[in-house]
Amino acid sequence: MEYIVETKHLTKSFGKEKAVSNLEMKIPKGEIYGFLGPNGAGKTTTIRMLLGLMRPTSGSVQLFGKDMKNNRIEILKNVGSLVENPSYYPHLTAKENLEASRKILNVPKKRIDEVLQQVRLHGVANKKVKGYSLGMKQRLGIAAAMLHQPELLILDEPTNGLDPSGIIEMRQLIQSLPKEYGMTVLISSHLLSEIDQMATRVGVVSKGKMIFQDSIETMRKFAQASIQVKVNDNEAAWRSLLANGQKADLGEESVTLQAEDDEQVAASIRYLVQQGFSIYRVQEEKRSLENIFLEMTKEEQAG
Amino acid sequence: MILSLVKADFLKIKRKGMWLLCLIGPFGVVALQMVNYGVRKDYLFDQMDDRWLYYILNINTFTPLAIVLGIVILTSFMASIEDETNAWKQLVALPVSKRAVYLSKFTVVSCIVFLSSVLLFLFMLGYGLTLGLGADIPYLRIIEYSFLPFFAALPVLGLQLWVASVSKNQAIPVTLGAVGVILAYSAPLLPDWVIWKWPALSNDWDHSYINALLGIGFGLVLYVLGMIDFKRRDVK
Amino acid sequence: MFSVINSEWYKLRKSKVLFLLLIAPLIGLFIGIANSSIEIEGINAWHGKLVMMNFTYAILFLPLISGVLASVICRYEHQEGGWKQLLALPVTRGKVFLSKYLLLILLMLVMQLMYLVSIYLVGMIEGITDPFPMDIVWKSIFGGWVATLPLIALQLWVSIAFKSFAAPFAINVIFTLPTILVINSERFGPYYPWGQPFLMMNIGGSTEDVFFVPWDQILMVVGGSFLLFFIGGYLYFLKKAI
Ligand SMILES: Nc1ncnc2c1ncn2[C@@H]1O[C@H](COP(=O)(O)OP(=O)(O)OP(=O)(O)O)[C@@H](O)[C@H]1O
Ligand SMILES: [Mg+2]
Repeated sequence: MEYIVETKHLTKSFGKEKAVSNLEMKIPKGEIYGFLGPNGAGKTTTIRMLLGLMRPTSGSVQLFGKDMKNNRIEILKNVGSLVENPSYYPHLTAKENLEASRKILNVPKKRIDEVLQQVRLHGVANKKVKGYSLGMKQRLGIAAAMLHQPELLILDEPTNGLDPSGIIEMRQLIQSLPKEYGMTVLISSHLLSEIDQMATRVGVVSKGKMIFQDSIETMRKFAQASIQVKVNDNEAAWRSLLANGQKADLGEESVTLQAEDDEQVAASIRYLVQQGFSIYRVQEEKRSLENIFLEMTKEEQAG
Repeated sequence: MILSLVKADFLKIKRKGMWLLCLIGPFGVVALQMVNYGVRKDYLFDQMDDRWLYYILNINTFTPLAIVLGIVILTSFMASIEDETNAWKQLVALPVSKRAVYLSKFTVVSCIVFLSSVLLFLFMLGYGLTLGLGADIPYLRIIEYSFLPFFAALPVLGLQLWVASVSKNQAIPVTLGAVGVILAYSAPLLPDWVIWKWPALSNDWDHSYINALLGIGFGLVLYVLGMIDFKRRDVK
Repeated sequence: MFSVINSEWYKLRKSKVLFLLLIAPLIGLFIGIANSSIEIEGINAWHGKLVMMNFTYAILFLPLISGVLASVICRYEHQEGGWKQLLALPVTRGKVFLSKYLLLILLMLVMQLMYLVSIYLVGMIEGITDPFPMDIVWKSIFGGWVATLPLIALQLWVSIAFKSFAAPFAINVIFTLPTILVINSERFGPYYPWGQPFLMMNIGGSTEDVFFVPWDQILMVVGGSFLLFFIGGYLYFLKKAI
C-alpha cells in the first residue's frame, strides 16, 4: 500500500521523559486520519516531527515515500499545516498575513481570496488580525494551511475555538478535500465524537505509544461486539469458557463474550447451558467509542 | 527562495515603526550636533583647525552608540514579530530551509541599518554644509564615517540576531545590548579585539578600514555560528 | 496590597530576574578596572574612582537597565492573555500598577546597593588605602536611585503599552542617548530628567545639600517628571482596554 505518512520507531525524549515512543503511524493516500489521544499524549510532538520542526530522538519520518531528514523542503511543498494555536502576525490584516506566506509558497494571488472564501473570512479580510476572535484566528490558520493546495493537510485540533456552525463547516470542508482534491488529511483531537464524524482511519495514542491504529469501521466493530452474560457463578462460567478455548472477560457482575459473530455467541451460550450453568440474562452492550477510547487509554496508564 | 523570504519579511515589519527608527537614528545623531553647534558654535570652531574633521568626529561620538543600540532594537523586533504568536513554527513548516529563514532576517536588518548609514551620510553632509565649516568638503571622510561604522558593527549584528532569535525571553538580548553600549561607549579603554569597540573606527594602526574589514570578516563568522545554532534547535 | 506585591515578586523570581540585577555590579567592576584614574596628591583616591565610575554607569547604564526591568515585570502579562487573568482576580488595577512600581523601585535599590559593593571591590582590587568616603558614596547611591524614580514610572507606562521589549527600549534609548550631550550644558542639563541620575550621582556637585544637586531642582525636575509619568501611566493603565 502507498502510504502518504509513514513513521518508523519514531521517538522523542525531553530529558528523561519520552513524549513519543516507538510510534508507527501509517496513513494511506486519500484518507482522513483521526489522531486521538488525551492531553499530553504526544500528538502535537508527533506532528511537529512530521513537519520537521523537531528532530526525532530516534526513528524516522517518511512523507510521500521520501525521508524527512534529507528532503524536508521538497516534502513541505506539498504539506499544509496548523499546529496547536494558530500563528499569525497581529499587526497585519488577514490578507497581508496570507500574502506573507504566499510570497514564499509562490502561488497565484487569487488563492488568497479563494481560501478566505472557503473559511468565510472574506468579509473581514482587511481587518487587522489583532482584532479577530479566537475562532476567526483559527479559520485564518486553516486558510493559511490550504493556501498552496497541499497533498497532505495536517491539522492539530482545528476545531478548537470554533462555534457550532464553524465546526460543521469545517467538517464539511475537511470531508470534501479527499474527494475533490485527492488530499490526505491528518487531524488530531482529544474528542472522539468529533473524529468519528469525519475520519476514515483512526490512530489512538496514549503516553507516547500508539495503542490502536485501524479503519474507523474496525473501531466501530469493536464497539458492537460485546455480549454480556449473567450466570449463577460468573467466575466458574468464565473459567470454563476459557478452558473451552472461547474468548471472554470476567466483569463484576457478568461475563463478557468477545464474540465476532452471532454463531459464536450461540455456541458459547449453548456450551454454558450444557455445562449446567443457570443463565439469567444475555444482553448486548453497545459500548460507545468514547468508552472504548477511555478503556484503551486507561489500560495504558495502568500498565 | 531567499528573495521571497526577504520580501515576506519586509511585509511583516510593516506598521512596527522600524522604518521610523531607521530615520530617527541618523537624524538624531546629526540633530544632537545641531543642538551642540547651535548652542556653542564659536567655541567648537576654536577647538581644531580642521573644522570639518572636528564636526565629523563630534558626530562620530554618537554614531557607534546609535548603531549598536539600533541593531539591538531591530534584531529584537525581528525576533519578537515571530515570537509573539510563535509564528516560527508556521514559518519553518513552509518549504524553506531554516538557514534561509535566518539569512533573510539578517538581510533585512542589514538593509535597514545600511539605509540608516546612507541617511547619515546625507544628513551629515547636509548640516555640515549649512555650518560653513570651510570650502574644502571632505567627501571621503564623510563617506568613511557614514558607512564604515556599519561594516564594523556587523559582528554586533550577528551576535544580537543570534541571541534574539534563540532566546524565548527578549530581556536577554536587550540586556546584552545595554551592556554592549557601555562597551561601545568605553571604546577608548578597550583592547582592539572587543567587537563593540570597532564601530568607533579607532585602532592601534590608525586605519579605519581595518575595523570595517574585521567587521565584515568576523560578522560573517558570527552570522554562520548563529545560523548553525538556529538550524540545530527544535522549533516549539 | 502586600499580597499583590508578593505575587508579583513570585512571578519575577521565577523569571530569573536576579541575574539581571547582577549585571550592574559587573558593569561597575568593568568600568572601575578598565579606567585607570589619575591619582592626585592630597585627594582621597576613592574620589577619582567614584567620579569616573559613576559617569558611565549613571549616564547610560542606569536609565537603560531600569527600562529593561520595567519590561521584564510586564512580561508575564503580555503573554497569552496574562493581563486578562491578572485583572480577573479580585484586585484593583490601581493596586496592580502600584505593586509593580513599588517592586521595581525596590529592585532598583537592590541594584544600586550591589553597585556600591562593586565600587568597594574595585578599590580593594586596586589597593586603595584611603578611608572609604561612606558619606559621599551613600549620597551618590541613594541620589541615583531617587533620580531613576520618574524614569521607571515612564518605562512602566510604555512597557504596559507595548508587547515587545524592543519598543519600550527604543523609547528609552531615544531619551537616554542625548544625556551625554545635555549634561554638558549648564543651562539645560539640570532640567533634563534623563540627566538626573548622573547629576545626582556625580560627587563633584555641590555638597552642602543632602544630595549633590539643590533641593529645588530635585523637587521640580525629579518630582515634577515623576508626577507626570506616574500619573500618566496610572491613568493609562486604568483606561487600557484589556
Ligand atoms: N518542548 C517541550 N519540552 C519538554 N517537554 C515537552 C515539550 N513539548 C512537549 N513536552 C511534553 O511531551 C508530552 C506530550 O506533549 P504534546 O504537546 O505532544 O501532547 P498533546 O498530545 O499534543 O496534548 P494536548 O491534547 O494537550 O495538545 C507532554 O508530557 C509534554 O509535557
Ligand atoms: Mg497538542
